[in-house]
Amino acid sequence: MNPLYYSRRELLTQLGGGIAGVAFADLLNRNGVLAQSKSPLAPKPQHFAAKAKAVISIFCYGGVSQVDTFDPKPTLLKHQGETMVGVGEVRPTMGTPGGLMPSPWQFKRHGQCGMEISELFPHIAQHADDLALIRSMTALSPAHGPALFQMNTGSILAGHPSVGSWVTYGLGSENENLPGFIVFTDHRGGPINGAPNWGNGYMPAAYQGTPFRDSGDPIVDLHPPKGRTPEQQQKWLRLLRELNEKHLDHNPADSELSARIHSYELAFRMQTHATDAIDISKESAATQKLYGVGEQPADYFGKQALMARRLVERGVRYVQIFSGGGNFEPSWDAHWDLKGNHGQHCAETDKPIAGLIKDLKSRGLFDSTLIIWHGEFGRLPISERMDGRDHNALGFSVWLAGGGVKGGTIIGATDDYGYRAVENKKTVYELHATILHLLGLDYDKLTYRFNGRDMRLTDVHGRVIKEVLA
Amino acid sequence: MRNRVYQKLTLCLMAFGWCALAAGSNVNAWRTQSLSQQAFVVLQQNCFGCHGAARASELDLRTAEGVLAGGENGKVIVPGKAQASRLLQLVTHQEKPSMPPGKKLSDADIETLRKWIVAGASFEGFAPAAAEAPKTEKLPERPFTAAERGFWAFQAPQRTTPPRTALASWNRNPIDAFLFAAMKAKGVQPSPRADRRTLIRRAYLDLTGLPPAPEEIEAFVNDKAPDAYEKLVDRLLASPHYGERWARHWLDLVRYADSGGFEFDVDRPDGWRYRDYVVKAFNEDKPYDQFIKEQLAGDEYATESDDTQAAMIATGFLRLGPEMGGGERGRQDALDDIITTTSLTFMGMTVGCARCHDHKFDPIRQSDFYRIQAVFAPTRPLSHPLVKPDVVAAHAAETKRIEAQQKPLRKAKDDLEAPYLKILVEEAVSRLPEYMQIAWRTPEDKRTPGQKLNVQQIRKTLEDDTLSMKLTDKDIVARMTKEDQQKHQDLVAQIRALDKQKPKPLPTARAISEMGKQPAPTYFLHRGSIDTKGPAVSPGVLSVVSEFEFPVPPAQAKSSFRRRGLAEWMTNKQNPLTSRVMVNRLWQHHFGEGLVRTPSNFGKLGDAPTHPELLDWLAVTLRDGMMNDEGRTMNGKPNNEAGIHRSSFRVQPWSLKDMHRLMLLSQAYQMASDDIAANMALDPENKLLWRMPRVRLEAEAIRDAMLAVAGNLDRSLGGPCVYPWIDPKLFQSSTKRTWPGKPDDDPTTWRRSLYIFSKRSIRYPLFETFDQPNLVNSCERRNRSTIAPQALLLMNNNFVILEAQKFAERLQKEAGADVTKQVERGYQLALGRAPTAFERTKTVAFVQSTSNGLAEFCQALFNLNEFVYRQ
Repeated sequence: MNPLYYSRRELLTQLGGGIAGVAFADLLNRNGVLAQSKSPLAPKPQHFAAKAKAVISIFCYGGVSQVDTFDPKPTLLKHQGETMVGVGEVRPTMGTPGGLMPSPWQFKRHGQCGMEISELFPHIAQHADDLALIRSMTALSPAHGPALFQMNTGSILAGHPSVGSWVTYGLGSENENLPGFIVFTDHRGGPINGAPNWGNGYMPAAYQGTPFRDSGDPIVDLHPPKGRTPEQQQKWLRLLRELNEKHLDHNPADSELSARIHSYELAFRMQTHATDAIDISKESAATQKLYGVGEQPADYFGKQALMARRLVERGVRYVQIFSGGGNFEPSWDAHWDLKGNHGQHCAETDKPIAGLIKDLKSRGLFDSTLIIWHGEFGRLPISERMDGRDHNALGFSVWLAGGGVKGGTIIGATDDYGYRAVENKKTVYELHATILHLLGLDYDKLTYRFNGRDMRLTDVHGRVIKEVLA
Repeated sequence: MRNRVYQKLTLCLMAFGWCALAAGSNVNAWRTQSLSQQAFVVLQQNCFGCHGAARASELDLRTAEGVLAGGENGKVIVPGKAQASRLLQLVTHQEKPSMPPGKKLSDADIETLRKWIVAGASFEGFAPAAAEAPKTEKLPERPFTAAERGFWAFQAPQRTTPPRTALASWNRNPIDAFLFAAMKAKGVQPSPRADRRTLIRRAYLDLTGLPPAPEEIEAFVNDKAPDAYEKLVDRLLASPHYGERWARHWLDLVRYADSGGFEFDVDRPDGWRYRDYVVKAFNEDKPYDQFIKEQLAGDEYATESDDTQAAMIATGFLRLGPEMGGGERGRQDALDDIITTTSLTFMGMTVGCARCHDHKFDPIRQSDFYRIQAVFAPTRPLSHPLVKPDVVAAHAAETKRIEAQQKPLRKAKDDLEAPYLKILVEEAVSRLPEYMQIAWRTPEDKRTPGQKLNVQQIRKTLEDDTLSMKLTDKDIVARMTKEDQQKHQDLVAQIRALDKQKPKPLPTARAISEMGKQPAPTYFLHRGSIDTKGPAVSPGVLSVVSEFEFPVPPAQAKSSFRRRGLAEWMTNKQNPLTSRVMVNRLWQHHFGEGLVRTPSNFGKLGDAPTHPELLDWLAVTLRDGMMNDEGRTMNGKPNNEAGIHRSSFRVQPWSLKDMHRLMLLSQAYQMASDDIAANMALDPENKLLWRMPRVRLEAEAIRDAMLAVAGNLDRSLGGPCVYPWIDPKLFQSSTKRTWPGKPDDDPTTWRRSLYIFSKRSIRYPLFETFDQPNLVNSCERRNRSTIAPQALLLMNNNFVILEAQKFAERLQKEAGADVTKQVERGYQLALGRAPTAFERTKTVAFVQSTSNGLAEFCQALFNLNEFVYRQ
């Protein structure tokens, strides 16, 4: 039972019982007043049955080069230094364009499906048969700001709720003692656009992403200041509750007031639950090793991936981890020194992601957890600043794995250069529609009324990518 | 050579400008073109991407006006004088930033521009109208049905005679008469009057956003004068805090923020001037029609205004939106944002829904959208100096003088570096992959297209790139002889010393201007796409409401007067929307919900008014005003029983303060807010307004109340923003974001929440948690959610704990050492009443049982429902 929902009996207790109380509570029930006291994060039914209950989103901020990771293009070596033929005008966003630049990394086939993956991801490659790889993703903008917004909220403009907000709005959360939507950023800083990347847009604050910090308390203001003991705090909360309940006597039917009283109990419980949820010291050495915890350079991301599993296990609906932060070198934004940049970022995330998949499987959570992996766009096959690659939104790779996903699938293709999606071209709207679908939400029916319009994550677009579905 | 500013600029332009390149160009007609047409084509092909619709550096090269006006860095051409024309200096790379970024025009193109300028720079063939021949296609204009035209919101409001009610006290103020009649019809009884303590707290919070001091409460409670309440209302309306409170509501509507949001979230250090303008407008009771006119078209009214600066600052309204992407598409998004916000805020209409197609529910044509776009399209940003013209001129001259001194120094520095750079470049190339080295060594005329690109890239990266830092000034200097190092150091020192001599920037307002009386045409866009231009459109209004003849700008006008036209239409007596929308907003913030509960949507998907006649009566009263004898008095004679005089009902046309007064003096406003079971059964949502709803205070009001009660609120008005403490972990998650937060115990941060810098990408946690709007969209009504993180914040946040501590210190000072007295004073200050026996017993025991008990008791008061709810 959700404690924010006051059952009839509970309400009577609160009113001090009595005949008048019974009649009054009945009256309120009939008028649906009590129903309004439901928590905004109370679990809500899926629109239709679906396996995935939670999402772990891995966002490689800055843009991953598809031709160096999941989309091999031998043409780049064959025609190194030459211009692309027949692709029209190439528009780099920064710097002067160069000729085609071969990938510094080798590709091999992996798994039963024979998916080609570069040597940058040796561990993830072992799970090729679990991945639904889309090689023909496209975004609306090759600039970070709008592309991040699009990947996170569906729109290239600011102000819209993020995917995590939509999902928690649609499904609520399974654990009211934790936020329903939690975000981890990179230790080098977060993505540009800042908090609106996980913002609730025009929705109530209940659906905003809560950033979890990497040290100290996971949430800001989670714990009382030094010197205030838990006993003291409980005593204080008891006083507060007694005073607030007296005040409620005048307005016994005011669901907002009673919900607010209850929110203090939730807050109190969140203090222990949140701390416990990210306490990876409770994990076995073997599990920690699986995620690369304690090994450089995987340690930091490994810890976050492990925390993500612990959160999902506890009923958190949506966890997003950003790999890469800041500008240029600290993010995946390899405008120069692609080798150093992607070498570093892949090494940081490869083992943890593979470990996450393995761990979820061994705990029976893989089928109920959806993992999505992507950047905000891909990179150009030509050189930039001699040894880097510029942004490219015309064709890039993303993958999904876990609940309801058909592993070992390759969807769509780019042209010979890996420049433009040419086969089975997909959009971010379709990716979002698919994510919602895998969670049992109908992207067309999940709406929120704002400024006179029924808003949707996919706006007036979208279609489920059927090939992804198991 | 290595100019950081240029690099950053290029970065921005490149990132934003990509879609601008899509702007069409047509070179087929080259052979028959005149010199000016040839120049136009060169500019179109090479420059319009950034200096067209995107107006990078506020420079638009598409029209004669634009070229002659120049950009934010001054004029770009001097007709007849090639050397003096900056445009030529930039494209020949004699001056920085070299243009276009990352490439150089062909010699032929440069020659075309030079000849054109020398020949006097004529502009035939320049107007976009000539470049893009107007199409003869007819605008799609779907007819409106009779039902659509007859929709309630489009009918002129009528002031009907208020019904006469049986209950005398509900018969004096027309508001009450309308409400009572509706209640009676449904068998609902109005709530009794709230007690005076509740009433004064309510009025204070509603009108000033601050709780009353105990002394003010006692004075009011004990005031036996019949007009005690009326005097209270008048006093609060005269308080400067009234303007602060109501400016906050307005800023929600216009999605005000102090930074641009988006990728770079650049600060708007002058933004607060608009905020102060709004505060002042409310405080001075600026007539609402004038308030609209100034915000939409202050520049076009400035010559007639007694306060030109205020009128110019007000146009900042048109620049409040978040930054959009660049290029023509970005400009369309920005205009859409202006149209959407303007129509929601002033008209209660969702015109933005008609950008790509006719509105799905309301009679708003897509052509209406583009006709309204034609009103705003000619605007361009203006940094309006708030000093006299001679000061501006002196400032420019001084800057120019110093820059002229720097120029030879910069050249000397470049010359000194050049030979060393050459050596370093050769060394770096020798480390590149073989295919790149081959390209480098291949003679220029033998290079393949790919090799040409690679060589160009190598050169640029090694010689002129501060991003990848492959070769830095440091590397070059390290290679120099001792003697050259010394010379280099001297030159750098001299350039820097001159930089420091440059005069400080002038105070400016973010304002709006236009480039002339005849703007470039605005086109209808099929499906809202810039790739499917339809016919040109003339400026227009909502055609379902009325036709409107736009004014002709006077001879000396510097703008099209289209915005002035729109403002005139909005404030015209015939407009059925403007006054209805505004009285509804006033109502909403006094009575918890509007009479129309979707305050920015009076369309079909919005809610119908709960009391249509009352809404109309109020709308007409705001618009036309009301003389004494038009207000209802009991049997025609004044009745002072409730302290209401005949004079209460006098309303000056468009006076918001008079409307507040009318509402606050109603019986309805003075009702209690407790539950009444019988009424709840009949009207659980309180649509009939049988009680005053209880409303959670906004984030800002909660913070202000804590400061006020603790006794350390800085009540000074206006000026630049303040930065309270935010945990750096929260904003480090945003690239290159800084937040110069001061610690919580820094008194400069103890100002009202209105003055906290509102940065679009860094939200003040207390505000964000308590449903502050997203600062991007117009917000008609705040969400009021109740979530655990709010409780955590009020339990554990350092600011809250500090305020509780201050509050405790205040109690010790004002009530002495006696705990019971401290508790009693605490209740008076925080809640405006004495504690009940139960409360006294509980809290006194609590305070005595713990070491820091008093401060914790104070914090408990901040956490009470009664504290954060207005009842």
